[in-house]
Order: sequence, then structure tokens, then C-alpha cells
Amino acid sequence: MNCQAHWMRHRGAAASRRWFLGQCSVGVGRIALATLLAEQCALAADDAPRRDPFAPRPPHFAGRAKAVIHLFMAGAPSQLDLFDYKPALVAHDGKPLPASIIGDQRYAFIRPDAAVMAPRFAFTRHGQCGLELGEVLPQLGQVADDICVVKSVTTDQFNHAPAQIFFNTGFSQPGRPSIGSWVTYALGAESRDLPAFVVMSTGAGISGGTANWSSGFLPTVYTGVRLRNQGDPILNLANPAGVDDALQRDTIDLVRELNEQQLTQLGDPEIATRINSYEMAYRLQRSAPELMDLGSETQETLDLYGCDPATPSFARACLIARRMVERGVRFINIYHEGWDAHSDVVGNHTNNCRATDRGSAALVQDLRRRGLLDSTLVIWGGEFGRTPMVETNPALGRSLGRDHHPQAFTMWLAGGGVRGGMTYGATDDFGFHIVEHPVPVADLQATILHCLGLDHRRLTFKFRGLDFRLTGVEEHQPVLALLA
Amino acid sequence: MVLSKPCSFHLPWCLAVWVVWGTTWCAAGASDDRPDRPSFNRDVRPILAANCLACHGPDDNAREADLRLDTVQGATADLGGYQAIVPGDPEASELLRRVASDDDDERMPPPESNKTLTAAERETLRQWIADGAAYAQHWAFVAPQRPAVPEVDDPRFAGWSRTAVDRFILERMLREGLTPNPEADVDTLIRRLFLDLIGLPPTVEEAQSWRLRLREAQATEGGVMEEGYQQLVDHLLGSPHYGERWARKWLDLARYADTNGYEKDRPRTMWPYRDWVIRALNADMPFDEFTIQQLAGDMLPDATTDQLIATGFHRNTMLNEEGGIDPLEFRFYAMTDRVATTATTWMGLTMGCAQCHTHKYDPITHREYYQVMALLNNADEPDLELWDAAEEQVYQRQREEAADLLAQLPQQWPLPDGANPADRHDVVQRAFEAWVARERAATRQWIELCPDRATSNLPLLTVQADQSVFVSGDITKDDTYELDFTDVPAGITAVRLEVLPDARLPARGPGLTYFEGPKGDFFLGEFRVLREDQTLPISRATESYAKNHFGALPVSAQLATDGDPQTGWSCADRYGEPHQAVFVLQEPLAAAGPLRVTMRFGRHFPASLGRFRLAVTTDPRGAEARSLPREVEQVLTVEDRHWTAAQRDQVWETFLLSAPELKEPAARIHALLRRPTVPAALILRERPPEHPRPTHVHRRGEFLQATEEVTGGVPAFLPPLPADTPHNRLAFARALVSPDHPLTARVQVNRHWAALFGRGLVRTEGDFGVQGEPPTHPELLDYLAVEFIERGWSVKQLHRLLVCSATYRQSAQVTPDQLARDPQNRWLSRFSRVRVDAELVRDIALRASGLLVPTLYGPPVYPPQPEGATETAYGGAEWPTSSGPDRYRRGIYTFLKRTAPYAMYNTFDAPSGEVCLAQREASNTPLQSLALLNDAVFLEAAEHLGMQLAQVAGGDEERVRQLFQRCLTRDPRPAELTSMRAFAARQRARLAAGELAAGPLLATRPGPAENAPDPALNTQALGEQAVWTMLARVVLNLDETITRN
Repeated sequence: MNCQAHWMRHRGAAASRRWFLGQCSVGVGRIALATLLAEQCALAADDAPRRDPFAPRPPHFAGRAKAVIHLFMAGAPSQLDLFDYKPALVAHDGKPLPASIIGDQRYAFIRPDAAVMAPRFAFTRHGQCGLELGEVLPQLGQVADDICVVKSVTTDQFNHAPAQIFFNTGFSQPGRPSIGSWVTYALGAESRDLPAFVVMSTGAGISGGTANWSSGFLPTVYTGVRLRNQGDPILNLANPAGVDDALQRDTIDLVRELNEQQLTQLGDPEIATRINSYEMAYRLQRSAPELMDLGSETQETLDLYGCDPATPSFARACLIARRMVERGVRFINIYHEGWDAHSDVVGNHTNNCRATDRGSAALVQDLRRRGLLDSTLVIWGGEFGRTPMVETNPALGRSLGRDHHPQAFTMWLAGGGVRGGMTYGATDDFGFHIVEHPVPVADLQATILHCLGLDHRRLTFKFRGLDFRLTGVEEHQPVLALLA
Repeated sequence: MVLSKPCSFHLPWCLAVWVVWGTTWCAAGASDDRPDRPSFNRDVRPILAANCLACHGPDDNAREADLRLDTVQGATADLGGYQAIVPGDPEASELLRRVASDDDDERMPPPESNKTLTAAERETLRQWIADGAAYAQHWAFVAPQRPAVPEVDDPRFAGWSRTAVDRFILERMLREGLTPNPEADVDTLIRRLFLDLIGLPPTVEEAQSWRLRLREAQATEGGVMEEGYQQLVDHLLGSPHYGERWARKWLDLARYADTNGYEKDRPRTMWPYRDWVIRALNADMPFDEFTIQQLAGDMLPDATTDQLIATGFHRNTMLNEEGGIDPLEFRFYAMTDRVATTATTWMGLTMGCAQCHTHKYDPITHREYYQVMALLNNADEPDLELWDAAEEQVYQRQREEAADLLAQLPQQWPLPDGANPADRHDVVQRAFEAWVARERAATRQWIELCPDRATSNLPLLTVQADQSVFVSGDITKDDTYELDFTDVPAGITAVRLEVLPDARLPARGPGLTYFEGPKGDFFLGEFRVLREDQTLPISRATESYAKNHFGALPVSAQLATDGDPQTGWSCADRYGEPHQAVFVLQEPLAAAGPLRVTMRFGRHFPASLGRFRLAVTTDPRGAEARSLPREVEQVLTVEDRHWTAAQRDQVWETFLLSAPELKEPAARIHALLRRPTVPAALILRERPPEHPRPTHVHRRGEFLQATEEVTGGVPAFLPPLPADTPHNRLAFARALVSPDHPLTARVQVNRHWAALFGRGLVRTEGDFGVQGEPPTHPELLDYLAVEFIERGWSVKQLHRLLVCSATYRQSAQVTPDQLARDPQNRWLSRFSRVRVDAELVRDIALRASGLLVPTLYGPPVYPPQPEGATETAYGGAEWPTSSGPDRYRRGIYTFLKRTAPYAMYNTFDAPSGEVCLAQREASNTPLQSLALLNDAVFLEAAEHLGMQLAQVAGGDEERVRQLFQRCLTRDPRPAELTSMRAFAARQRARLAAGELAAGPLLATRPGPAENAPDPALNTQALGEQAVWTMLARVVLNLDETITRN
């Protein structure tokens, strides 16, 4: 039926109210009408903005993953001390790398002739696949057969902010949409009670800042929504002091009533969208606290993650991420900033692993046992790697650290159609260059999209006359070898 | 209504004359508007651009099969017995065969492009070829001509048009079968004008006064309120808030922010530029001047401070202070941003595409992109201290006070217990003589050396009149200066390095550090003295002062001689002061002859010296670094009896101020003599002719892949820069606003149109190129562009023209028929309601509640925002929430931190200032609802309103009326009144029943003390305040409140 005609027939304030209440019987979902109206009246014209930007949309092809959890180890963990064990570094400890390897690489702090530093941790093998991991990742070892370790990721950027922004948006300067925005733009939302793209953060502040979850030139509604550690989990979520639930409901009802009268008066569908926004806000005020309330989790689960339900931590964020996936959230970022070990790799990584190892592993285990791992892609890694050479700088009080290394670094993936128990790609004896299966960041992005059923070449947005895509203008492809 | 002439188009003629840049055209518009036949610009080019030009367009690196379809030569070239297009002969045109082919190997566009032409598109191409395949230049690349204003002879709308604008609109609207809405009512018009022109709703009193004037005019002039309306428009155009409202739009383009961006995102002093924009708009500075001052104000003759501040436009680029970055790499990124921003802001061109390769659609080559960069790339980026008369006076008074205190200083000389105060004079005098003797003994005869050659790896070293060397230009993390002296005297025993302050340096120097480290810092890693390539050993080195800013390691002049560039000398914390180091040679340099001094600077950030002087002594005793001022030291080399009175005073004062006995009383004098810190604006300064910065083409747009060097120039399709002036930033700025520029005026008027009518006439406000949307009303756009130029680029006159139109005054009501025929209101048969910009959402609440503090200008402020709003910013940024009046300033003054923008504005689509933004969205989200419902800003406004309303006499009805008038500039309708009263009754009942408490509802605001709830009020009075606070909260949340209706 022609929704417009229908809506116009029901324009009388009373009629419209009845329609709201009558047709949409689900809970507070009288508002679904507004959504419906807004969606359908949204007018067939090609250039009409999407009335409901979060309406679920089919992928390009069937993908295994429905959701993504990206554990972003900001600051860049050392692949050489955690994943990519290199006996040659032990042998060359204290000696410079051959010049032929270094080439004309520039560094942030060290000089290219700095000495090699041996891995700072002992490595042990885990799982049936025999995955080698630094001793500070014992919990990850427990899920070794569930994860796929890629030792040959490579990036273009070697400073934190540009590299983080590059990893998320495919471009080193702010202004482009992040992958979470692309994905929610492409697929819409499964849940109407929670945001589709959520960003959490533990550890220090994030170098790349909000550009990491910006919607860039996509509509701003696709910006990642921050779930905060301090105050309300979502900005302005709680009722103000003195406002109880009944008053909030009464207030929203009166706002709606007056907005409906205005809608009747002017006929602008945007007013219906506004009414809808208030209802969604009201629902969010219920669903977000429910999400954050870990009271329904068993002690066994809390122990698995090793988290205190009341204190913000990486492990708690992982648990909340699982709860979000259960509730239909599409894309989740958890940033843990603080891996930038220019000095004291041992101290830095011991602490950061203590903060993240159990939570990351528990997330994989928990998703698996709940049958969610297959439909949830988990990604773990930083924005670049760290040098085989030591960073020592008495002027800055630094010793036994490692500088930034864009040529090669390690990430792991799990679930969402990715093959567990495998290792992909390889670096040379010093872990400096990739010698097998390089995976540029854009290939990894294409892979993430592929897992969700999206073709990175077809996921485009027209902006300033060009069809932009996440993976840029160069030819890239998903790494199908990682998939089961 | 056909304005254009029929095409008179002869192919051979065209081929003969079309050689410009490779695109071929006859004048745009000449053949371009025959509704019944396909027109190249309107119908054909969009099809080619969307489907063909990426591979068959301007970019010769990406061109396939050596075929280009954007030019008639290319499209009709012989491809070996056949042509892609044979004008007049569709059957012989290979293009048509290929786009219709079912064979995957033949079909164009190829299957992997995921593009296919629709049957309608193929038919358009066929007809166009049959008609002769007439190419035309892209409409936006031909300078606008004043079009004829259409006559509309429909008697129904005989009196409708008020301006020429309306006749263009009406003519098109009627062609679409639409008719204009009636004029909006007076209340709506008043609020609309206030919000559009000054970004604030009227106060109740203002609205009432204008309502009367408009209605009165209406009554006396037989339904025409023209005079009153125009008076209101002029009144608002003259308001100082006009500049605030329109500056915010410009600042979106300028990517304005109060921080540097990237990881550290430290604060910067950008607000003088923001204030400049507000002032310029308030003064209605013509847009051509506005342009020239921002792009090249520093190059104007005798540039004023204001003209220098204006160049802050391109200092809004980000600055990466992350440890260890390559400053030249990030400078390159800033330059690409400047090119892209200039192109978008002035020309509506997406020039950024050509950074990596020739533009796929628009005629901008890869090389031309870097030629435009070259125009902008020849400036240094200094700070400009903003000393004004007031500051000068303050400093003068300080110096006078210091002089008074200095005169009294001897009286404070401490005497031993029991000494006679009358002897004090003699005691001081004896101490002075002893001091002079001591200092004189340590004084050496220094020979200040003028370098015969001063060079470096990159920065420019310029010898000054006082033999010192001033350093400018780009610096790196590892800079080496080389100073050559052809002939120094025999017997040199020591070399002195003075590092000197200079007003041109960051924080007055002496260093050039401008990011990561403190401004004015330097780090001298190595200091060497050489003769004929032999380094002369240095036995010891001393310095007047040394301090390290980073790390715990000591710094000293001695460490600058140890061969390790990571250790050395630095003078942290005492910036803007002279310091010195003295290096004593192990062996005196026996013979006269040449001498070379090399200095190496830098650490994980650039830390080179900005001004210094070298001197030598032949004193056999060697020398030590001293803190004594150079002039005093010179005086000491002269015997006392030859001193002038002034010299004696100078020595005397130096003695008093450095005497340990007077340390405490002298401290106050030292403080007074210190220059007050004043804000320093970020500006551009064109480089001296002897030190131009070269610009290169960068392969694939990459910093490290510089290739051919280029000189400044503009793309060939634009009017060339004049031959008789240097091709630099100033010439470029002037060319942008020359009347024959095809883009600038169109882009500007379109942007103002969009601000007032919801969408631009060209809906892609940032893209007037081939891929942008063609204008809905091309003639109107050209009419406005020509008017704008001919009215002296006056933005206020443009605004007056637009808001006085009948088109603007229509009601926003939309009927089902209108919605069906024109959902996006392209044909403007109604006023487009649009939610106001983020800052105005808050401004409205502040104004309606009476909290607004309308002070203009000044440093940014920190209104409240939710706890943790900045927690993800690097280093966990603090938000020092303003108390007092700054809490309630307009949104344009809110501190804009790039990595953590003010949360509420962000929620309402305000930009972060990281990139140039041509078009803001007006999204409509649940997070916005939460902000309006629960954010402190709106709660404070609701409370403030509630407390005032509770005092209003006349009962609920009058109070609701007041509330509506304050927020919506209208009276409530009966149904609204009923709903409001019912709500009030429910809340009163709940308060009475104890379900709600007034106290907490009224206790959230830390505002002015006089507004706090009066503890003496009885429960009922408090309850009423609470009830009206709740009602105010409702009205502040209405869609109507935050929308231009």
C-alpha cells in the first residue's frame, strides 16, 4: 500500500496517536510506526537519504560472520617477543643487523645500526597445532587450536596515530570512514535496542583518537558509539537527578504528543523520525544498563574472564562484548592502549599481557561454548610491529626497548569462518621482512569484510564524485587461505 | 521558457579550435537545455562519467585501449577502421554496439566493474549521437554570464515574486506542476530570520516588538509588511551575533580547532583567527578581500596584524607531535590538506584526487596538482605575538615600577647586627667596588666574528647587522650548521657561543623547536672548531645556564664536545633569554687564518638554534661562560673613569640585581622586568626570495617519492595567472576572486543558498566537477554569482537578497501532493525545515532560558559536558569546566579538541576540525534525544527557565504562553495548552503524594548564586519551580525548538 497515502489518511492527531498505539503492539514499539512511516515514506527518489539507516540489509553473499570484535592492541605489541620466535636474534644479540636487511628504512627513535635484541621471553608450544607463544600469553595457549595466527601483516605507517587511523579507515589521515562504519552502513543493525557499532577502551588514551571510529564521509549515524568507563556507559544515558522512570516516560510521552501535533500541522516526515529517536532513546536507557549489569553471569563465567564485574577492565570489556554479540551488536572495538615499549619490553609486555591475555582467550572460549564463535569474528593485534633492534637512549632514559616496525607484524583471528589452529605467512630470520604471504592491512580489511559476506570492491560510497572504498584504489583481495 | 539558443554546432569548426587541455567544448549552455533532446552536460556527461571515464578519461596512466571519451577528438578517433562515436550515425558507433553487447568479452563497461548501462541510458546516448554527438564544456568550468530573468505570465502568481530570485524559482516550479506555498505567519518568519541570520532565537521582547512592527506595516500597507520585514533583516544583518553565526560555517571549511590534532593533540592559540573571521563577517568584508587576506595576507604591502592573523586559515592544518616523527613528512601531509582545502573551499573541486594520479574525471593533471601546491608551499609558519597597546602599557607600567623599586634597592642592603644605618651607603659602595674588580678580572676581550659563509643541511642562516646569525625555514631532527671565517687573528684560546632571543622565534627562542618539545627549545649535540678539516681539541667548556627538558640526564656545554650527538647542551625553561657557552681550546691556535665552526642539533624532535653569535678571544688565560649582559661586559673592559653616567648606572643596576645580599627584594624586580606572556597567533610568512622552498611532483602522492620539480601554476582549464606578476600565493588568491573565475562565485553563492534553503542549487556543495550534480536551477545560480560579484562580493547583500525573496518566506507546511511530487523539495515549493547546527542547538537553549552570556571574542571556553567525555583522548585530556559566565557563552567559543570534540556537538554532527567540511549533516538520532533530555547543559537551561516561569503571574496558561514564546516564538495552540496543563497536574499530584521531590530536580545547576533555590521558599513554591522546570524540559526537547521552521 502507498504508505504516504496511508499516513496522510491518518494525519489527524488523535487518529495518528491511535494508529501509533494500535498498529504497533510490541512493548514501546508503538514507535515502530514512526520507523515504518519514516522508512517507507522515505520516498523512492534515488537521492533520498536513508530514512532508517539501520534497517538490516543483505550482504553481497552469504558470510559466516554476523559480528566482529576487534581487540585493538594500540601502541603496537612486539611480535618478536610474543608470537614470531627468531633464534637468529638470540645468536645476534648485541650485534648490528646486516645493512642489506635494513635498507633505507627510517626510524622514529633508533638509528638503523642499533644492535639486535634477543626475544625477551621464553617461548613454549601450545595445542595440537603446536603454536609457539611467548610465556606471557599462557591463556592464549589454551585456545591455540581456535585461532589463526598471521605473522606477515604489513602496514604503510610507522607513527601511532596515522597507523591506527590507517588500520581502521584505510587512510593515514583522519576523514575516512572506519571499518565499523562501513560494515554497519552495509549491513544495518540486528538490534534496535543497542547501537550497531560500539567502541570500548581500556588502558591509556588512544593515539588516533575519535578518527579511529569516525564515520568519515558516510552519514554520521554510522559513527562508533563509545561505551564509557566513567559515568554513564553511554553519554547522557541516566536520567537526571530527581527524574524517576515514570517522569521520564511522562516527559517523553508529552514530547511525543506535542511533536505529533506539530507533525499534523506541518506534515514533515522528519518529525516522525524525531519521535522515533525519543522512543529508541528510552529503550536504550533500559537496554544499556541491562547490558552492563553482569549480575546474570555465573561466577564460573566471571572467573573464566577473570574480571571484577564492577571495575572497568579489558577482561570486563571482553565479557560485555560477548553480551553485545548476543544482543545483536554488529561491530565492536575494544582498544587497549599502552603497548608502546620503547623501553623495557619485559615490564611493559608483562603488564599488558597480564591485563589482556585472560580476557582475550576467555572471549574465544566463551563464544565457542555458546555456539557464537562461528558467527563472530575476533581479531587481535596492533597498528604495526616492533623492531628486532634494541632501542636505547640514555637522554630519554630508555633501555631494552624496541622501536616501531611497519614491515612485518603478527595478528590473530578467530571465529567468523576463520580456520583455527593455523599459522599464516613468515618473516626472515630476523623477523624484519616478510618472506612468505605478505598481508597488507587492506588485504586484512578485505578479509574481515569477506567474512561478513561483503565484497570490498563492491562496498563503495560516492563522495565528491568518486566511489570510495575501505581498501583504497590499489588491488587487494581477501586472504581466503585463512578461511575454513 | 527556453533561455538558451539552439545549438549551432559544426564539427569541423570545433575540431579546429578545441585544443585547450584536451577537453573540447563549445561554450557551456549553448546547446544545453533543449528539454526534448539529450544535452551533453545534463544527460550524456553523467552517463560517461559514471561508467566510462575512469578508464577512458583524462588520466593517461589509467587509460585503456588508448581511447578517451571525454573529448570529441578522442571519441571520434580512428580506432582502425571504426570509431567509438560517429556523430550523426549511431549504427556506425562502436560505443553503442559495445554497451549493448551480451558478450562478456565485448560488453562495456566490463563485467568486473559491476556497472551496466540501463536501456534508458543507452537510448540517451543513441539519440545524442544521432543528433550529432555535440560535446560541451562542463558547465561549471565556463565563467557565469548574467542570464535573462524569466517572465512568468501565470496570472495566479502575478504578484508572488518579490525578487528576481523568485522568478527563476517560480518558472521552474510551475514547469514541475507545483505551486508555491503561502507565506509563513509573522511569528514563524521572525524566528526563522533570527535563527538564520544570527543563530539565536529572539527574546520575548524582541519578538513582540518586531511582531508589532510587521503587523502594523501589514495593516497600513494593505497586506504588505515589506518595510518592517526589511528593517528586521537589516537589524539582524547589523547584529554582532551575525558574524558568530556565519563564522561557524566558514570555520567548518577552514577545519578550525583549538588543538594540534593527532596523538598528543595539544592546545594551540587559534582563536585570534576565529575572532578575525567573526569581525570580517560583521564588517561585511567583501569576499574577494576576505579571500586574499586569508590566503596571502602576509604578502600584502605593509601587512597589518589583522592581515597576518587572517593567514591562520592555512595554519589550521594538523601538527603531529608524536615522538620521533619526521616533521617534513607531516609537513607534506599538511600541504596536501592545504591544496585539497583550498580547492574545496573556493572552487568546489575535489583536487585531492590528483595527489596520486591525474584526476579521473576533472581536467586536473597530476603535475598541475603539485603546481598548485607550489603556489601555497613557499611560506614559513611562524607565531605572531599579539602585542597591542594595552599590553604595551602594562609592560611599561611594570618597567616603571621596577625602576622605582631598583632605586630603593640599596636601602635594603643587609647590615650586620648593631651597624649604623647611616653607614649603609658606604657598605654598598664597597661591595660594588669589590664586585666590579672581581668581574673585571674575569672579563675577556671578545672579538665577535662575522661569518663569511653560513650554511646548513636545510634551514636558511642569515647574518644580521650585529654579526649574529638568524635561522629560518624548515628544520629536521638532525641539522648541522657550518660557519666559516676566512681570517681569524692569531692566538685564539677560546670560542664563545651566545644563543640569543628573537621575537621572530617560537617563544622568542633561542631555539626553533615548535612541536613535541617546548617552544623555543634547542639541543646542541655537537660543537666543533676546525681548521682545514682538522678538529681542534677542546679542553673544557662552560655555560651560563643548562637544563634538560626531557629525561634525567645532565646537559652541559662540555657534553656537546664528547663526540656523542645524543648528549649535549640545552637551556630548558628559560626561553626568550640569552645564554652562552665558552669552549676553551686545548692549544691556542698560533697562526691567523681560516676557522670553521660546526654545530649539530636535534633529538627525537627538531631542536636547532634560531639565533646565535660566535666570538673568539686570544686571552692566554682562556675564558669562562658568564651570565653578565654583553653590554655590561663591554663596559667592564673600559676603565671606570671613562664610563659615561649611563654606563655607570647600567653596571650599578646589574650589580644590585645580581647581588646575593639582595636576592629576595630583587626577585620582585626580576619578575616585573619579565615580558608578560601574550597570545601568539599562528600565521604564514612568505619566504625570502633567496630561500624558496622547492616543490616536487610526488609519485603516487607519496612523500618519499619526490620526482620532477615544479613551479607554481593553476590547472589549464582555469584562467591563467597573469603573466606580469610572480606566480605565487598572492597571485593565486587574486586569481581565485577575479570576475572571470568560473567557480569561486558560484561555489560561494551555492553555499549560502544551502545554508538558507536546506540544500544547495548544486546539491554536491563540495563538488562542482564533472561528477558533481548539475544545478537544479543553472540560470539562477549564474544570476546569483554575477550579482554577488557585481555587488562587490558583499555577503550581507547576498543574504538580504535571499531572505527577502518570496521563496524564502514560504511556509514549511508540506502537503501529500508536494511530498509525492518533490520529496526533496528541489523545486522549492515550500520552505525546507532543517534542524539547526549543533552549536545552535545549545545556543537556543541558553538564549531561551536567559542564561546566554553574549560576550563576543576571546580564548575558548569549557562548558560542562558529561564525565569521561574526553577519556579516550591520548593522555586522558582534562576538561577544566568553566564556571561563571564562560559556562554560558555561545557554542562557537567552546574549546574544540580534535581527538575529543565537545560531546554534545559531536552528537549533533559538528565536525572535529580534522578535515575541511563542505556540508554538515542534520542527522536525527537517539543519542541526540538523550543529550536533550539528560545533558547538564539542557537541564541547567530548563531549571533556569522553570524558576523564572514559577514567578510569572497569571497562572498556568500565561506561564505556558511565556514558555512557548521564549522557546518557539509563538503562543501555544489550545491542544498544546491542554497537554501541558495535564502534564503539570500529573506532576503536582506526584509531588504532593511524595512520589517526586522538588529538591533534587532543582539542585543540579551550579549557576549564579542568585539563581539557586531560595532555602526560605516553602514546599509549594519549590514544587512549582520543579513543575515548571519539568515543563521547560519538555519544550526544550521539541523538534520545533531545534528546527528552523
